[in-house]
Amino acid sequence: MYLPFQIFREIIMGKIELYEDNLLQIELIENKNSINMVWTGKSIHRKPSEFITPILAETIKKSTATKKRIILDFRRLAYMNSSTITPVIKILERAKRGTIQITLLYNKSLKWQDLSFSALEIFQTKDGRVDIKGVDNHVS
Amino acid sequence: MKQFLKLAVKPEWHEIEEARNKTTKFLKSLGLATDSVHALTMVMSELIENSVKYGNFPLPADNVEVDIHQDENIITVEVINPVNPVDESAYNHLKKLDKTIQWIRGYQDPFEAYVEKLKEVSRRPLNDEESGLGLVRIAYEGKAILDFFVGEGGSLNVSAVSNFQGDNYGKD
Repeated sequence: MYLPFQIFREIIMGKIELYEDNLLQIELIENKNSINMVWTGKSIHRKPSEFITPILAETIKKSTATKKRIILDFRRLAYMNSSTITPVIKILERAKRGTIQITLLYNKSLKWQDLSFSALEIFQTKDGRVDIKGVDNHVS
Repeated sequence: MKQFLKLAVKPEWHEIEEARNKTTKFLKSLGLATDSVHALTMVMSELIENSVKYGNFPLPADNVEVDIHQDENIITVEVINPVNPVDESAYNHLKKLDKTIQWIRGYQDPFEAYVEKLKEVSRRPLNDEESGLGLVRIAYEGKAILDFFVGEGGSLNVSAVSNFQGDNYGKD
């Protein structure tokens, strides 16, 4: 039986929600053990918090209720302005002091991602509950 | 040979993306490494965002001027916008700009300044939208020395000077 691509992906990967703002796309994929937040494109909005913070807040709510780890996947992000970093670090700081589990993934092969995201290791916890992970591979 | 790019950008947010694309194209034409192109485009981008946010543009013809020039291993990004120093908010912005640049210079390694700023910003309330990371990001990721002056004609000139000599951040 023919299945549209979206339904096929949902069966394979779990529930998917797509959010778009200007050149930025955020895909939320909820599966058995984690909620993956995949960032694609460019985050260049004047006030990116207006778009990002509600999505992050909702994801944290889900994570708290389900005890699933949040995966913030920035590997496909091509550019972000400094205002984009603000909501992300506020969430990491609150996660560090709380109980939710977060992994932040970035592409170590991209110098800008390595510089931007490796600095966020200050928010890591020793038990790995908040984890900043540079992946040394290329994402197509 | 010195090469340069000059742009006059309307002080509207949606114009920044086109300036970013033109900057990337120019930097690529200089033969810089992809990482350097990205870093310098970010520098221009953060400076122009500040100009659009805090500049005074009373006349329809008022623009943000971008001037990027290369002199051997040195790339200078200058962003100029009209400013009215007698206006209280503009004066406060200039004071804050001066304070931030002096604060960054107080660190031997801009990474330390960046980390300090990350800690400070992360503790602010969720609804506080001010980033305050732009200039320190320029110093850290752009490896740039920041400076500014207010010209006689009432223009604010902010410059970021990056030296790509002797590191692997240069040509591919």
